[in-house]
Amino acid sequence: MSELLSALAGWGVNIAIAITALRTNLLRSILTTLGVMIGVFSVILAVAVGNGAQVSVTQQIATLGSNMAIVVPEPERANGPPRPGDRGRLTERDGDAIARQVPGVNAVAPQIRTSVQMVTGGRSASTQAIGSTEDYASISNLATEDGRFLTKSDVGAATRVVVIGQTVADKLFVDINPIGETVRINRVPFTVIGLLESKGSNLGTDNDDQIIMPISTLRQRLSTGPAQGPDDVTLLFVGFEDEEALVAGDREIKSLLRARYRVSKGKITPFTVRTTKEIAETSGQVTQIFQAVLVAIASISLLVGGIGIMNIMLVSVTERTREIGLRMALGAKRRDIRNQFLVEAAVLCIIGGAIGLMLAMLAAAIFQQVADFPAPIGWDTALMAIAFSAVIGLAFGGYPAIRASRLSPIEALRSE
Amino acid sequence: MTAPLLETHDLVKDYVIGGELVHAVNRVSLRIQRGEFVAIMGTSGSGKSTFMNMIGCLDVPTSGTLLLDGIDTKTLDSDALADIRNRKIGFVFQQFNLLARTSALDNVAVPLIYAGVRAAERRERAQAKLEAMGLANRMQNTPAKLSGGQQQRVAIARALVTDPLILLADEPTGALDSQTSLDIMGIFQKLNDEGITLVIVTHEPDIAEYAERRIVFRDGQVIEDAPVTSRRRATAA
Repeated sequence: MSELLSALAGWGVNIAIAITALRTNLLRSILTTLGVMIGVFSVILAVAVGNGAQVSVTQQIATLGSNMAIVVPEPERANGPPRPGDRGRLTERDGDAIARQVPGVNAVAPQIRTSVQMVTGGRSASTQAIGSTEDYASISNLATEDGRFLTKSDVGAATRVVVIGQTVADKLFVDINPIGETVRINRVPFTVIGLLESKGSNLGTDNDDQIIMPISTLRQRLSTGPAQGPDDVTLLFVGFEDEEALVAGDREIKSLLRARYRVSKGKITPFTVRTTKEIAETSGQVTQIFQAVLVAIASISLLVGGIGIMNIMLVSVTERTREIGLRMALGAKRRDIRNQFLVEAAVLCIIGGAIGLMLAMLAAAIFQQVADFPAPIGWDTALMAIAFSAVIGLAFGGYPAIRASRLSPIEALRSE
Repeated sequence: MTAPLLETHDLVKDYVIGGELVHAVNRVSLRIQRGEFVAIMGTSGSGKSTFMNMIGCLDVPTSGTLLLDGIDTKTLDSDALADIRNRKIGFVFQQFNLLARTSALDNVAVPLIYAGVRAAERRERAQAKLEAMGLANRMQNTPAKLSGGQQQRVAIARALVTDPLILLADEPTGALDSQTSLDIMGIFQKLNDEGITLVIVTHEPDIAEYAERRIVFRDGQVIEDAPVTSRRRATAA
């Protein structure tokens, strides 16, 4: 216990010596610290931005809805990417078959989309029109803030009704309730029956800039582009009861559609199935790589900061050779001298690290305000920053400190 | 008779300078008893400083034996030598060698840091030694605010703070005027009267006359070793 106390007291003395030495060359100390400060600042900010990307992607996937499979008419080869000439195909009837035959399916919503121009009362807006069914709301986590969503009879009768997003409502309707109003969509009159709750935006994509109408209405009244057949869809949303059903259903959908399109094993399928689980995993990996690359680049500046520390510590040792000799004459052991210079380097680094961390927190807060992008800095990141800078101090201060401790007392004492 | 405090047998220190081997100290054998006041004299290059550095455990002999307080220093590693310098030897230098921007009190306390003494006790012991040197009202002054004589007295207080067996002073008056030199020699004589062993290196014959034994070096060897016949006394400041 007393040994521990005296060891701690020894470090206390070293810290006092280090602070005196650093204050003696204040400007030089500040400039040296600057290197570490910038290094820690950039590494922490990189970690924060990486974390932010991860949070953002998770949120985006959550807005898609959970436990969902997405089937798209994109050809998929068993090995390698599709080639030109591979054809994709997916129809509403495929969706009906999935709903009937795959176990654990709650609902299937087909989707087709087209760009439209909307006009009302002298105002206009261009947006994306989505054609789907009454099940679209529950599968893709949509809710109406006002009015109602599509019903089965809307879809069956191909009525000219539309549910609009917040952004569209803001563009077209000022100071009036849009519910019940008539809008012209590509010159066809529609009645607004509902207003969607806002879903915000992810990474620059506005989730509220869309309108939803019955898929039958969209097919009959609006042009859907030249390539599509009368029954084709741009995608199918398949909602499952739970994750277990999703994992099993993924395989079921594939084999069902293979059978429907008579695709033998190993051949190109005209469709691709993705589950929200896969998407989450893939984007998790992508953001991790993104973060690793950012941190790696930022680490270079930390390395440069560390080299700066080493440079200055070498100068410091050379300048104070006589002092080292004197301390040795007065009884300092090699480890005392080594620790003195290690502590000096560590103090420089920890001060730089702490300031760098504070600046990174400030920058992250500004980033969050201005760019509306989360950049969280947790306690673990903060602790990592401090530990990191201490390690830099020990690693780059180590060589100069050991060099100082190896000096011969008499040669050090004689130096001028 | 008790063992001598310091004993050397055929002590040799060789240097290679410009490709030529130089015997800085060449087979020196002598003894210094407890309580002696020895002046080592010689011209520059005579080997007196090299000898002093070896008996101060700052420099390692090329060959020969050095016994300090009965311990053969050849058997000691660098940590053990540091310990001996800390506990058994006090150094006084020509240029004082005080830490700049550090108070007299903190300067005197430095050896106690390496002895592992607690802060409060360090302060107490450093204070006592400074008071004994007549510097009670200068403790917080940095070296820049002290005269040469005062700085050398701080250095002596620092040398004494671990209560060493022997004080080694290398040209302790070399940077001081004659009156201040006299004061310092008075302090040394007083310390010697109190029982401490003293070895000073000097090239000034006057200064050597304050010691009780004079050893003269030339070309790395002792050419004279005799008691000081007409010993001077200085009244302590």
